[in-house]
Amino acid sequence: MVDLNLKAEPFLGHYSKGFKGVDLREIDDNSLVSLALPLGEESKAIKAIEAAFGIPVPDVGHSALAKNGAMRLLRLGRDQLFVVFLYEGMDSEPYIADKLAGAVYSTDQSHVWVTLEISGPSARAALERICPIDLNPDAFAIHQLARTNMEHLGTIIIRTAPDTYLLMSASSSAGSFLHAVETSIENVA
Amino acid sequence: MSQTNRIKGGLVDRSQTLKFTFNGKSMQGHPGDTLASALLANGQKLVGRSFKYHRPRGIFSAGSYEPNALVELRTGAHQEPNTRATVAELFDGLTANSQNHRGPLEFDVMSGVDLLAPFLSAGFYYKTFMWPKAFWEKIYEPFIRMSAGLGSLSMQEDPDVYDKGFLHCDLLVIGAGPAGLSAALAAGRSGAKIILADEDFLFGGQLNAETYAVDGMAGSGWAAQAVAELAAMDNVRLMNRTTIYGAYDHGIFGALERCTDHLPTSGGKPRQILWKIYSKRSLLTAGATERPIAFGNNDRPGVMLAGAVRTYANRYGVAPGKRVAVFTNNDDGWRTATDLADKGIEIAAVIDSRDGTPRASIHGANMVMGGRIVDTAGRKGLKSLTLSNGQVIKADCLAVSGGWNPNVHLTCHQRGRPNWNDDLSAFVPGDDLPVGMSVAGAANGTLALGAALKDGRDRANEIVKDLGFKASRKAAPKAEDEAYKGAPFWHVGESRKRAWVDLQNDVTVKDIKQSHAEGFRSVEHLKRYTTLGMATDQGKTSNIPALAIMAECTGKTIPQTGTTIFRPPYTPIPMGALAGRARGKNFRPTRLTPSHIWAKENGATFVEVGNWMRAQWFARPGEKGWRDSVDREVEMTRASVGICDVTTLGKIDIQGKDAAEFLNHIYTNAFLKLPVGKVRYGLMLREDGIAYDDGTVARLGENHYVMTTTTANAVLVFRRLEFARQCLWPGLDVHLISTTDGWAQFAVAGSNSRSLLSKIVDDGFDLSNEAFPFMACAELTVCAGTPARLFRISFSGEMAFEIAVPARFGNAMMGVLMQAGEEFDAVPYGTEALGVMRIEKGHAAGNELNGQTTAVNLGLGGFVSQKKDCIGKTLSERPDLNRDDAIRLVGFKPVDPAKPLLAGSHFINKGDTANMANDQGWMSSVAFSPIMGHSIGLGFIKQGHERKGEIVRAVNPARGSEVDVEIVSPHFYDPEGGLQRG
Repeated sequence: MVDLNLKAEPFLGHYSKGFKGVDLREIDDNSLVSLALPLGEESKAIKAIEAAFGIPVPDVGHSALAKNGAMRLLRLGRDQLFVVFLYEGMDSEPYIADKLAGAVYSTDQSHVWVTLEISGPSARAALERICPIDLNPDAFAIHQLARTNMEHLGTIIIRTAPDTYLLMSASSSAGSFLHAVETSIENVA
Repeated sequence: MSQTNRIKGGLVDRSQTLKFTFNGKSMQGHPGDTLASALLANGQKLVGRSFKYHRPRGIFSAGSYEPNALVELRTGAHQEPNTRATVAELFDGLTANSQNHRGPLEFDVMSGVDLLAPFLSAGFYYKTFMWPKAFWEKIYEPFIRMSAGLGSLSMQEDPDVYDKGFLHCDLLVIGAGPAGLSAALAAGRSGAKIILADEDFLFGGQLNAETYAVDGMAGSGWAAQAVAELAAMDNVRLMNRTTIYGAYDHGIFGALERCTDHLPTSGGKPRQILWKIYSKRSLLTAGATERPIAFGNNDRPGVMLAGAVRTYANRYGVAPGKRVAVFTNNDDGWRTATDLADKGIEIAAVIDSRDGTPRASIHGANMVMGGRIVDTAGRKGLKSLTLSNGQVIKADCLAVSGGWNPNVHLTCHQRGRPNWNDDLSAFVPGDDLPVGMSVAGAANGTLALGAALKDGRDRANEIVKDLGFKASRKAAPKAEDEAYKGAPFWHVGESRKRAWVDLQNDVTVKDIKQSHAEGFRSVEHLKRYTTLGMATDQGKTSNIPALAIMAECTGKTIPQTGTTIFRPPYTPIPMGALAGRARGKNFRPTRLTPSHIWAKENGATFVEVGNWMRAQWFARPGEKGWRDSVDREVEMTRASVGICDVTTLGKIDIQGKDAAEFLNHIYTNAFLKLPVGKVRYGLMLREDGIAYDDGTVARLGENHYVMTTTTANAVLVFRRLEFARQCLWPGLDVHLISTTDGWAQFAVAGSNSRSLLSKIVDDGFDLSNEAFPFMACAELTVCAGTPARLFRISFSGEMAFEIAVPARFGNAMMGVLMQAGEEFDAVPYGTEALGVMRIEKGHAAGNELNGQTTAVNLGLGGFVSQKKDCIGKTLSERPDLNRDDAIRLVGFKPVDPAKPLLAGSHFINKGDTANMANDQGWMSSVAFSPIMGHSIGLGFIKQGHERKGEIVRAVNPARGSEVDVEIVSPHFYDPEGGLQRG
């Protein structure tokens, strides 16, 4: 019998590197499921989400973190959220769907996105070279998020701490995305 | 050469000496010098040759609007032509060379062209050099291009790196002169987010060039103090060496920051950054530009703008001449004379075009009121000037002032027109400013210092209050309002010699008059006929004098004559900066398939498909070329089993109670009754009835579908669906999300595909034809628990499946599939074999869905349901798209099997001439079919479905090919489809 076990490989090989004033690393242990709120039943869906996860559903353009830090809700649109959570199983979407019992439409997005965490005192300066969004602290508060483009690549940016941002972009172009972010850091470091 | 013209004072750092070369000559300067100030300090007056006549030229100004002193900076691949010496910051080791001359600068062999000037007036090339006709392209034009022009390119790749970036602010202050600094201080104190940008390396603008006091201290000292206060504010970003070059929609500005141009090397960091600045408000405080007066031989080295002459003396500690004369039409020109005299420089004369009494008393100077200069002398440097009364005055520098033009350029970047101001004899900002823009200081026509400081502060306070901030109560800085009044005087009519208006393009007063005489009455025509106002300075010193002369010719006023349109960029932007990082393979992102690493390790040759890198074929040892590999991949797939990464096809997850209805409107064919667990082919049309994209839809649940699209149209189809969902049918409960990148999907094709897959599916998932027939789909697990999706679909015509696993498992999955397929001699295949098999099977792809073909053309007319509506249906029914002789997709095979076919060939009936009138259609796809043993093709030909068996000619004049071909069914392989259903 041949060994036909499958092994998952991170998109960027668990990339992690320190630069002058900036740390950059791949976050590869999160599961990600999108939640679509059924038309006309949005309030019901929001209540179900809040009940299931104990996190108030944030406004569009904001995220909310569970008290234990293991789950974050991203409100990307009036009828769309992402739930990002630590989960070891491969059945992320059924796991979430079960908790919501048909109140939303859910899709596994865990493998659609590559996630980079950029942090450090020079992180914002580096992002100025690639991110069109105003990241000034009073314009982009902690837990705020935005969908934007960085070097032609669609990106979701979330501010998770004073000098820390999560950058999510398409996994197929993970290498190009990393190169673009690395270049931005090196150009200011 | 020592710094013979260096005088006391100025803002240069004399504690350090910088060495540089000009045309190979070693020279010295100091930090704080520009190349221009250092050249003048070293007595170098001649710095270049003019564009057309190769006239000796010197430094004319002290700003970014310099028309004359263009040089080549640096060497080798770093060499940059057409750099304005007046803004090039001096650094140790700088290498500069003059440009546009043959032989040494002093003895340019092309200077003889000046003698031919009578034949080279405006538009000469439209009138002369017309005979013989063939000579224009081969002799005249190359010679003219070779003899005229600016600097030369290194012809090497630019080794520097460039970057781009994004900035945001409440208020962008453009220009850090008196008004700009005053405004930034006021706005900064309010707490608003401010960006203060200036093209100069030293903030202060005219304050650094003048001797006026502000708040009781030297203007330059006040500027330094203001900058220090601003630098201490967290809410203020100071950007020197930064030109705001364009005002765009919604308060967005383009800015070029020169990061390392003042350093010997960039050290691997970006040389320049092109910033996109998003502002809530902007305040233009860009100052004003002095204009010259045209008179005979006014282009000699040593003839300079008066403000520039005193800038060199006051800011740089350089005397542009030992004996200086001033020619002015305004009070400000007199300031040059008094400033220079105060520094001990001999003033030969002050010639004022106005009558009246002299505005100042200057020891030893000849005061000529109502004076006119008609000529100058001195081939390579000014020696004397001649007045209209015949008086000759010896001088080696002539400071000319024709008044000041507010720098209104950015106010006009969105087609705003400036207004004429009679008091200033200049254009001031018009009423139609870019959204959010205000103007203050000299740029707004407020030329006096005290008024400009107050204007800047007041405007800034208005803006911050409007933005909801509390304005600072601090008073505006105090300064005197200096005299600047003048009387318009544009050119010396008594002069019989050539009088230059545009120094950069060698346009004279006579050229403008001639242009008018030849019927070019519009300013826009004048500009294009004479080339006035073009090139690096964009006519900043020449436009208004030219307009004035044009107005004289037409008998109109200047505002009636009009002005040309100011467009971005304000000053030149290097191409490298515009490109930024988007060079070479970084021009666009690259997408990799999940099995990319496996493919690379297993000999794949890759091809770019859109942004994707796809395996094209997998060469094996002994194969002599790509055809060997592709033929083998096809044959082995058809004989047993082949595996291909098809992740690149778009995947769109569609959910909602109304998803079926939504799909029914999107696709031409019916989708309401697609059962759960089944896949259906779908065709979508553009609104105009032309085929748009095709693919499959799998129904995974009651309200859950997965659509596939072609690789090329994945994003476009998604966008189209979102538009339909949000705008066409907002009442439908439908939700979309792309999962293209989330699933690694592999085609497993061939008679042994089922046997192979049965080794990896879990829990004895039944793959039999009965349990999982053609066009079935299922969610399952593989390899002991990995989630997967399985589709029984076939692009190759074989019994085939597509198996998808989460993308992180994709690379391992390819290895597992190959391992499981080892006993079946499984082969990986690339896009070429995939293409061959789809042509053998007669499937349409991008070549066929090319934006010109309809469902009828594609032989898919039956897919357009008559029982329901869909996007594009109505217009697909246009009679002309449904003519009896419409083209149809059919197959073609060469009559002589040895002959290859060429895609792009056009079909011509036997006996007809090969021309457009006899065109019957075209060959869209061809391949060598290893199964058939000859070339095969798909193509469109009129009434093709009724012409099977007919022989036509496939003609390709572009590639010199003509082949007789037989019209056949497009389904070369297994036309009944038994294999894929088996």
